[in-house]
Amino acid sequence: MPSASRPASDRRTVLAGGAAGLLLFTLGGCDKLMTAREAREQGADFRNLTAQETRTLEAFGEVLVPGATEAGIAHFVDANLVRPHADCLLTIRYLDVPPPYGAFYAAGLKALDDLARASAGKGFADLDGAGAADLVRPMLAGQMSGWNGPPAPLLYLAVRSDAADLVYGTPDAFERLGLPYVAHIEPPTTW
Amino acid sequence: MTGARTDALIVGAGAAGSLYAARLAAAGKSVLVLEAGPAWKNEDLVSSLIWARRLRWGGPPVASGGDNPLGVGFNTGWGLGGAALHHYGTWPRLMPSDFTMKSDHGQGLDWPIGYDDLRPFYDRVQEEVGISGDADEEVWRPAGAAYPLPPLEQFAQARLVSAGFEKLGMKTAPSPMAILSRPYKGRDACIYDGWCDAGCPIGALANPLVTYQAAARKAGARFVTGTYVTRLIQGSNKGEVAGVEYIDGDGAAQRAEADVVILAASTIGNPAILLNSTGEGWDGGAANSSGLVGRYVMGHSIAAVYGFFDDVETQNYLGVSGAQRTNQDHYDKTSLGGGAFGSLQWQIGPATKPNDLLGVAMAKANLFGEDLTRFMDRAVHHMAVMFGFGEGLPVRENRVELTDAKGPGGTKLARVVHGFPAPSMKLWEKASELGVRVMDAAGAADPWSGPPASAHLMGGTIMGSDSETSVTDSYGRCHDVANLFVAGPGLFPTGGAMNPNFTNHAVSLRGVEHLIGNWPK
Ligand SMILES: Cc1cc2nc3c(=O)[nH]c(=O)nc-3n(C[C@H](O)[C@H](O)[C@H](O)COP(=O)(O)OP(=O)(O)OC[C@H]3O[C@@H](n4cnc5c(N)ncnc54)[C@H](O)[C@@H]3O)c2cc1C
Repeated sequence: MPSASRPASDRRTVLAGGAAGLLLFTLGGCDKLMTAREAREQGADFRNLTAQETRTLEAFGEVLVPGATEAGIAHFVDANLVRPHADCLLTIRYLDVPPPYGAFYAAGLKALDDLARASAGKGFADLDGAGAADLVRPMLAGQMSGWNGPPAPLLYLAVRSDAADLVYGTPDAFERLGLPYVAHIEPPTTW
Repeated sequence: MTGARTDALIVGAGAAGSLYAARLAAAGKSVLVLEAGPAWKNEDLVSSLIWARRLRWGGPPVASGGDNPLGVGFNTGWGLGGAALHHYGTWPRLMPSDFTMKSDHGQGLDWPIGYDDLRPFYDRVQEEVGISGDADEEVWRPAGAAYPLPPLEQFAQARLVSAGFEKLGMKTAPSPMAILSRPYKGRDACIYDGWCDAGCPIGALANPLVTYQAAARKAGARFVTGTYVTRLIQGSNKGEVAGVEYIDGDGAAQRAEADVVILAASTIGNPAILLNSTGEGWDGGAANSSGLVGRYVMGHSIAAVYGFFDDVETQNYLGVSGAQRTNQDHYDKTSLGGGAFGSLQWQIGPATKPNDLLGVAMAKANLFGEDLTRFMDRAVHHMAVMFGFGEGLPVRENRVELTDAKGPGGTKLARVVHGFPAPSMKLWEKASELGVRVMDAAGAADPWSGPPASAHLMGGTIMGSDSETSVTDSYGRCHDVANLFVAGPGLFPTGGAMNPNFTNHAVSLRGVEHLIGNWPK
């Protein structure tokens, strides 16, 4: 059963990293706690997403919320997809998509890529800005002809929220927006 | 293993379970509480809406469907404190008219008790927990003791939007909040940082860790986390429960026995356990001779309304996640007309952080790219927001049911099926229109309303006066099983337009005191 059976001590390790705004990544064969941005900068391995999915996710995230790629959206999503459902930090938890969520992201990103290839002859990540925006615009309303994947509105909302988490939801982001973070318990390092 | 047989076994360490545990332990009963989720502590309540997601239900998946699916992932909790660990502390009372819907209007359901039966329990709970508000200003409020604490501080967006209500001849008042405006009973006062959704580690917001759970532990109640209850064990006959089966922290199936079992495992968890329980004469689950276990599940619709005040810093990131002010001028169930039915409560000026489901970026989910960037730059400083909570008419078709998917210990996983009946959708539509008019009157630029959404989980194990039309009596005792109790908003036959947790506490206090005075033989 999903993690109700996991001993509390395992959970404490995850939480200790969590409080610091860190996720577990593998770099040069060693596990290391890093922010998603650092993981991207340092080229940490992906554990769940394929190279193709990573490219599509970064491109899609960037179209939705400018800044998402550099903020490490692909590493953020990847690191959370290997966590048990109970420890997953992605908004998809709120969208009532059944776990495990890896299959949802894989099928959704493939559907987006397939649609790009069918309509423009190239993968989503290779579209220019206007072409990508045209493909994304009808997603929320679910008005997608030729879409062959999980509900497009859910994919749109999930990835848009992942991107918004990193670009707007961190202490750094608050500072950029001119908002006081005013934490009770401040994440000790930023992402 | 959880050790020896106890007087009382409580399933779920959330709002209702914690109150039951505190009172039963104080009455000298041995109490064991089995909780599926982790042993959260105040230090785990990191101020971040990203990390807050760990606090939501993380056990066996629950599916959600129907025309208006209830947001199960968002509206549930798990671990010590349950959903109440990260709830927003908006604590209005139900109105007398909520208890007599069927008698008054010929639709929906009646409660087997009236407001006057609950009033003393509301009064006592608010004194124990601490509610901040202004009873005189709340002109709609039913009779009851004044709040023990003055209202919370108000920030710009609440003042701006309230002016719109006044322009339209309507009134606003500070929202009654189970959040301390002053230090109270050893707990600190609120610092208005707006992180309530992530849980309040200073205990200014009445989460169970700092209210009834603390009292329960002191009185000797034992809480065991990581224990997922799968089903009830039948006693010597169908009218008796002997205990529960559960999966322990190592994944092994275990049993725990008690004289009395109290299901406080949430609006979804309670019917799931009942429906998964089998035994001689427990056809269709335990306590289900009515066929109503899982039926009449309800939520509140949400009309989300926004506007810009470009010349003013609206301070929308400050305050509390619940509400600063309220308006209840359209609480009368037919007051909005045009086919709308049900009560409406406005919650004005919730603290709105940039990200997350109720965050600024979601206020216009259709925007992306540079349009979103421009919107965010403007909205984080100049947007104001309010939510209209609309009553969902109780109907039998809305339900928690079991699916064919296999869960732990040979159980079947649950699914929630929900749709707002037409009069409830009309209410949402009318509320959205009214809200935009209010924003407009307040002088907001470009006011708009969002798509239909919902909040709160109620019903599914409704109370009533007999075993044909309800699952439990007014104290939460199952009609069919004398030593089995249900606690939580799942008992409500109607939910009004009011956030459920104050009524949950009042009903639980009434239930547990009755249980203590009438302990099953
Ligand atoms: C984001 C949010 C904001 C809210 N804001 C407000 C508000 O402002 N005002 C208000 O009045 N209400 C609010 N609520 C609703 C309020 O939190 C609930 O009504 C209240 O917590 C319900 O109490 P409960 O005891 O029935 O369930 P919970 O408090 O959820 O507790 C149930 C517990 O049972 C456990 N459990 C479930 N199944 C099992 C099982 N099989 N075995 C063992 N344990 C199990 C769960 O893990 C959980 O800990 C809010 C809820 C949420 C999610």
